[in-house]
Amino acid sequence: MSEIGARAPTVMDVAREREDVLVGEEIVRHKLSSRLIHWTVAIFFVGALLTGMPIWSPVFGWMAYLFGGLSVCRWLHAWLGVAFSVGTVVMFVAWVSDMKFDANDRKFSFIDYLKFSAAEDPEVGKYNAGQKLFFWSVLAAMLVVLLTGIPLWWPKEFGWRLRQVCIVLHDVGFIFWFVAIVGHIYLGTAAEPGTFRSMTRGTVTKPWARLHHPRWFREVTGGRR
Amino acid sequence: MGAIQGLEIRRSSASLRGGGTMLRQQPTVAKYIDTTICIGCKACEVACQEWNDLPLVKTEQIGTYQTTPTLQPNFWNLIQFREVDTGPTGFAWLLRKDQCMHCADPGCLAACPAPGAIVQYQNGIVDVDPEKCIGCGLCEPGCPFDVPRYTARDNKMAKCTLCVDRVTVGLEPACIKACPTGCLQFGDKDSLLALGHHRVGQLRENGFAQAAVYDPPGVGGTSVITILRHGDHPEWYGLPKDPSVPTTVSLWKRVLHPIGFVAMAAAIFGAIGHFMAFGPKKPKEGGEA
Repeated sequence: MSEIGARAPTVMDVAREREDVLVGEEIVRHKLSSRLIHWTVAIFFVGALLTGMPIWSPVFGWMAYLFGGLSVCRWLHAWLGVAFSVGTVVMFVAWVSDMKFDANDRKFSFIDYLKFSAAEDPEVGKYNAGQKLFFWSVLAAMLVVLLTGIPLWWPKEFGWRLRQVCIVLHDVGFIFWFVAIVGHIYLGTAAEPGTFRSMTRGTVTKPWARLHHPRWFREVTGGRR
Repeated sequence: MGAIQGLEIRRSSASLRGGGTMLRQQPTVAKYIDTTICIGCKACEVACQEWNDLPLVKTEQIGTYQTTPTLQPNFWNLIQFREVDTGPTGFAWLLRKDQCMHCADPGCLAACPAPGAIVQYQNGIVDVDPEKCIGCGLCEPGCPFDVPRYTARDNKMAKCTLCVDRVTVGLEPACIKACPTGCLQFGDKDSLLALGHHRVGQLRENGFAQAAVYDPPGVGGTSVITILRHGDHPEWYGLPKDPSVPTTVSLWKRVLHPIGFVAMAAAIFGAIGHFMAFGPKKPKEGGEA
């Protein structure tokens, strides 16, 4: 026991409890609880997607067999949707303080950002405006899809005229989500190397932080280079 | 009962190429209902309950000659009764047989997401296969006639099958068999339409100038054709004036689906294209960005 207690805390030890700190050459970007809630929400999201898509179109009928058939999907989809919504609310509470738009975010141009060539705005903090927009739109879409999903879950309790409208809005929310999640996964993995580890190990490198989030880098390192 | 194996399937829900071979020639069958000679005896209701082994439904007195307020999951054939003020000098007691209309273009089948749960046989009968029904209730918004009903246990849809099990073996539906006045007839749709137009001619000669055959074109016609004395006012009988597959179902299946597929493909190919055009964004070597 004494040996373990005596050693200096490693970056992994720190990353369990704290974030936005420099440990050696690594910066902790997401502490363990942040990473857990992200992956919990992600798993429920993918589950709801895979159980919903075979109901959306027979083209994706094969997905239903992953869960035991379409009649399983019919109830599992609803429960996964509820679990996803609860997880999203927890994630919202945990992250909302970092997600407020500031004056600097108004200058953000998604087109310029996607060109990848221009130097990053030096005033970009822990999250850029695109990430904040993704956060808020996931929440908005969650509310739309949850509220329209409830009448579809209990057909006998709600009128069919209401359910007609719900089907259309539920579909619109799904299509938005599919596009958004492809962009989110792409930008978090292949497009920007060094990003994915911030959601697994929890840390990023100094050059990564300096490139993508310059103001956050200065805040964490206290202005040192 | 599942889908009848021996019958050719014309259309099947949520199946792009899931129908039959289209080789077998079968006439479209129809049920003919002459509301002008219906006496409201309810023999058809009883015959339907008996033949289909449906548990008895508790009757409910709503102040008219009607058994229950609406169709129910275990009550597929309802003689509706209405007292209607037909104008300054007129007044009528109108009886109408409420049941699945067996549309040629069934909205329930279009809206159903479960492959093969709703089928239309080559002879025009629209049937539900409870084994494949997932109890989502989406067929109800697709039906312009408010026919689908759902079982208590697992929301499976249940409705008139046009006695497809009897029709398959050359018998007429149970309700037809029981009708004592000849108000109900069964046969191929073309000859019953001819009979209907003949009957409408008789009615017009006898003072019902607006008499008509109810076979709404908005759903491609129905395999339940109804003779109405007041053909200009189907709503007096509780029938929609010009029913069609609801626009939201068309919007959902014919507009949102293609848009969705294009958007999904655009997102995936867009990400791949973006990666090739703008490459990964990574810190410069040496650490000084």
